[in-house]
Order: sequence, then structure tokens, then C-alpha cells
Amino acid sequence: MHFIIQRDKFVQSVQHVNKAVSSRTTIPILTGIKLEVTSDGVTLTGSDSDISIESFIPAADEEKEYVEVKKEGSIVLQARFFADIVKKLPGDDIEVMVQDQFATTLRSGSVVFNLNGLDPEEYPQLPKLDESRTFRLPQNLLKDMIRQTVFAVSNQETRPVLTGVNMEIENGILTCTATDSHRLAMRKAITESTTENLTISNVVIPGKSLNELSKILDDTDDLVDIVVTGSQILFQFKHLLFFSRLLDGKYPVTKNMIPEQAKTQIELPTKELLHSLERALLLSKEAKNNVINLKTLEGDVLEVTSISSEVGKVTEKIHCHQVEGEELRISFNGKNIMDALKVIDSEMVHIMFTGAMSPFILRPTDHDQMLHLFSPVRTY
Amino acid sequence: MNWEELKQEQPTVMTMLEQSVEKGRLAHAYLFEGMKGTGKRDASILLAKALFCQDKTETIPCENCIQCRRISHGNHPDVMIVDPEGNSIKKAQVEALQKEFAYKGMEAGLKVYIVNEADKMTASAANSLLKFLEEPESPTLALLLTENVHFMLDTIISRSQKIAFAPPPIQKRISLYEEQGLTQAAASILARFPDDIAGEYAEEKRDWIVHGRNLVIQLVEEVQHRPQQMLLTLQEKWLPHFTDRQEQDIGLDLLLFWYRDILSVKYEQDNLAYPDQREKLKQDALQLSEKEVAKRLQQILEAKRRLRANVNVQLLMEQLLLHLQEGS
Repeated sequence: MHFIIQRDKFVQSVQHVNKAVSSRTTIPILTGIKLEVTSDGVTLTGSDSDISIESFIPAADEEKEYVEVKKEGSIVLQARFFADIVKKLPGDDIEVMVQDQFATTLRSGSVVFNLNGLDPEEYPQLPKLDESRTFRLPQNLLKDMIRQTVFAVSNQETRPVLTGVNMEIENGILTCTATDSHRLAMRKAITESTTENLTISNVVIPGKSLNELSKILDDTDDLVDIVVTGSQILFQFKHLLFFSRLLDGKYPVTKNMIPEQAKTQIELPTKELLHSLERALLLSKEAKNNVINLKTLEGDVLEVTSISSEVGKVTEKIHCHQVEGEELRISFNGKNIMDALKVIDSEMVHIMFTGAMSPFILRPTDHDQMLHLFSPVRTY
Repeated sequence: MNWEELKQEQPTVMTMLEQSVEKGRLAHAYLFEGMKGTGKRDASILLAKALFCQDKTETIPCENCIQCRRISHGNHPDVMIVDPEGNSIKKAQVEALQKEFAYKGMEAGLKVYIVNEADKMTASAANSLLKFLEEPESPTLALLLTENVHFMLDTIISRSQKIAFAPPPIQKRISLYEEQGLTQAAASILARFPDDIAGEYAEEKRDWIVHGRNLVIQLVEEVQHRPQQMLLTLQEKWLPHFTDRQEQDIGLDLLLFWYRDILSVKYEQDNLAYPDQREKLKQDALQLSEKEVAKRLQQILEAKRRLRANVNVQLLMEQLLLHLQEGS
């Protein structure tokens, strides 16, 4: 392998893939970054086996030439040293050359580094892509969807499948669901797909991977291609591929959990509810249970109370835009509701109760793409 | 060790695994049980290769394709090997393993987990593995390796298929060491130690083990005939020779072999650890009853146990020698 590459471009790519490399891995080869050179350009890969990032530097585009390929080939180099070395090299170009036994020479300006590489054949193979299970989303929408669901995943390893976000596609509608069995967040969006009637179910992406992905996503409406394979999911950007392994196991069926009729309905501004809960939680945080009581009063008024036996009590009355149906008294985990309110961008929210002991729904009033479900807390 | 070699050493085990792979009837969890040096680890790695190899002849892996090479180097993403860190398998290691269980395979298909010295898992760690052993989500193969199957939780044993690795016949091992150029006397001793220890002493420390053996012969003679000198010998020769814990343990083993040989001589059996000392052993055998020999064996085993509990070696040895001498 032998090529000469523009330093800036190279550094940028190395830094991208280096995000995926973890120092705490049990697989020695994963401490490295894989470089693969073909006449089209240079591909870099980094992985910690959960997520893998692949970055491509084309040999040339319309404007200028980035890589001069002298000989094709591939090599794996220790990420820890390689990333730092590349950053600190003085010249504008970097020459990379691999000799026998994976000995690699990096040359830039008057500096020469000799590094011992690893066998590129031993590097994990990323899945072959099956283009039939592909759909597209704008980057900013995907980022929003992640933000609005990933907070609800479970942190406990007792049911590993709940530590991920479930993706489903049916009739061109993508549904993301996350739950920790006390609350559920669901977000829908319309997607474009190249295949007719694409149906995908039980694709569970680990929450951790989505948080990483979210860091890469920009606030633009450029499209991301998403490809689902048997064991991994791929997010395809221009010159950058993000792979994540999927969680094993069957995601619980959530559709029939959502109640359709309501006994009590409330409509009120998001901000007001959020601030009032924040105040109420000041006390119940002390008691560590985050329990908040809610009561409907005459004249579209809600009473929010929270009691901490050692500290004291807080009561607040909120004027709602609308309160309909039966009188209600309910207790719930205020922290969970706050998490949900924080990701709702709409001004008004609509809450549907079906009794003090059954789950209730919270959703924004201006669209029906988002839904949050909570189970109440028994307080007596 | 490749498949063929291992099959010669462990014919029952390997034939069974071979047939299971061939017919696609592998259990989801195996417990490999056997002495140190019986090839458990080799067998587990070979089994993993047999499942992943792209170029195998029947069930025998080629050892040459990418898959085989990656497994050999510990680089295969879907073959996870857990070794104890220090004295036990740490909680973090089990958590990492659990996480692996929760994810789908990296390259699709099968996942293999090899837990070396599985008895070193703490009870809570082992318990948390149970669930995954019981109902893996996708095709997985768990291989638990242990030398002390009795330290494993019953609940784990009952959920996996136990495979016992037979210790190699002693005669075969003696001749193996003789081929390496050791004298018959040294080979008979070394063959009784586990492979990794014996291997070390068969090479660079050859003289050490011969000298240690002579010390034992001298010491037991003094215990029987010149008890006033035995503590001097202990102080002047034994303690400087057997310095660290492992060496002291070997010293006690050498003593153990001597008394076991006395019993063997009594029952006129061959296959002694000290074959050239047959006459001396016969004399001792005449003086001691079987019960007395058995008692001494027990005392040596007790001393071995105490050695592991960090007892002062000199006191331990003095007490042992006095017990051996008076037989009480």
C-alpha cells in the first residue's frame, strides 16, 4: 500500500473514525484504525464492535485532487498513536507506505514515523448491504426523533432489549418507540423509501449508539440513507458510514398498551406545566420518589401538590385552557413527565386520563406524530 | 494443538464433539471439566473454529483461513474469551459478557463465549449468567471451562452439558519426558505434575527437580532413622531449595509421592514415582502399617492446604516432619 494524501482532509477523517475506537476492548485488533486504499480513494474504519464508523476520502472530486494512490492495499494501525501522530505532522501532505510484515512508514515534511501495523484481514467485516431494506430521512428530523425517544430507554440490564429504541416501518410511516416499562415515548415520521411497501419490524438500536449518532448528525435537511441488515443498522451520510449493532430479542408489543378513550382530558401550555412540576419536584426530590399528586378543581383549574414528610409540602394551582370529563385525582412520577415535556417543542399539550389507576397519554396539540405514555403511581 | 492431536489425547471428547458438529446437534452450553493440561482450552477454541471455519474438511478446521486465524489471535468479534483477572472473574467482565449476550452478533449468525476457569466466577456473577444460559435469544454457544466442577453452581451444571476430559495415562507421559532426554527417575516425577508446571521444570530447571527429589529421599530417611538430624536438614537444605510458594507446594507433592509409593509397594504395584528407590520403599513399607501411611498422606495434604492459607513455611514444615516422624 502506498499513497500520498492531503493532511487536513486526512486528519478530519481520522478524527471521525477515532470516535468509534474504544481503549477498553477485549479484541486487540479493535484498538486500531483500518486504512483501505483503492484507486477510488481511501477508506478509514474504526470500531468498538458496538458501533463502527467508516469514512471515505475520494481520490478526487470536481474541485481538486486529495489522494495520489501509488499502490492499493490495506493496513490496521494503532489508533491511539496514529490519531495523535497525524494531527501533529508538520507538512501539508502525508505519505503512507506499507512494507513487509505490516511495517508502515508515515512521512510528512522532514518527519518520518515507522509504525508496526496489524493484519488488516483480521479486522471485523462490516455487513454486506442489502439495498432492498433502505429508507431515507432528513438529518434534522432523525436527530429530533432520537432526542425525543432515547431519553425513555431503560438503564437496567435486566431486560436488555429495553435499553434500545425500537424502529418499525409500515405503510411508509416510521415509528420509533422507547420504554423502560414505566413510561413510553413514541415518535412517528413519514419516510421515503426506494422499495415499495417496505415493512420493517423489531429493529432495536441500543440507546448508547443513538447518542453517539446524534453527535454526528447536523441540523440540516440533507438526507440520510438508513439500511437495515440482519444484525446491524447503517446510517449513510456523504462520505461517512455509521454502523450500529442491534439488540437481540423481541421488543414488547406496545400498540395495544395505548388507551383510546379518555375519562378526563386536559389541555394546557407546555411551559406552565413544566415549570410547575419543576417547583413541585424541589421537595419530592428530597424524598427521592419524585411523586407528584394532581387534582382537578372547579373552573378549569389543576392543583399540583407534592409532599415530603420530612421537609414539607407544596401546592400550586394552574389554570388550564380546558378540563373535560370526570373529576380526577392521580399521582405519578414527576421526573418522567418532565423528561417528556422537555422534548416537546409545541406550545400546548393535551393529556388524556383514563382513571387514577390506569396509564395516561400526553401529546402535543398541534400534531399527532408524538405520544408519551405514563403509568401512575399508587400512593395509598 | 490441532484437532487430530487433541483427538488422540481425548478420543471420547473429540469424537463426541465431532459428531455433534457434523449432525448440527451441539448443545447450547457445555461445561468442559478436567485437570490442568488436558486440553480444555484447546478443545474450546478448536470447536469455535470448527463452527466458523470457511475451509474445513468435514468438521476439522483448516487453521489457515481468516476466520481460524482471527480466532487464534483473539480477534474474532463473535468469539468472546473471558479469562479471570487475577484471582476471580470480575463483575465488570461478567457485565461485558452480559452485554454481549444482549446484542446481536457482529457478523451475523453464531456467537461463541468461552469462559476460562469458570469456577472463579462469584456466585452472583454466575447467577446473572444463568438467565442467558437458559434462554439465549439467537444462536449462541457457551463453553465453560473448569478444573473444579464442584465449585460450580448446581444451577449452572444442570443447564449445561458436562464433558469430562480424561487425564492422560501416566505411562505415556513418562515416556514423553524420557524422549526429551530426562532420566527415568526425573521423568517419573515430572509426569505426575500438571503440564504447565512440568513443562517449566523439564526444560531449564531440570537440575532443580532432580536435586529436590534427592532432598526428599534424604529427608524421609532421616525421618525414619535419624530424627535428630531432620530439622537441621530442613533448615540447611530444604528451605533454601524450595523458596517460593509454588516450589514449596512442589516439595510437598514430592513428599506425597514418596508415601504414596510406600502404599503402592505394599500392594506390589508398579508405576512408582521413585522407581529406582524400590528397595528403600520396601523397607519402609515393612515398618509402617497401611493405616499409618494413610495418616501421613493425610498430614501432607493438610500441610498443602495450610500452605495455601499463607502459613509460615518453616513452622509448617517442622510440624509436618514431627508428625511424620512420630506418626500421630
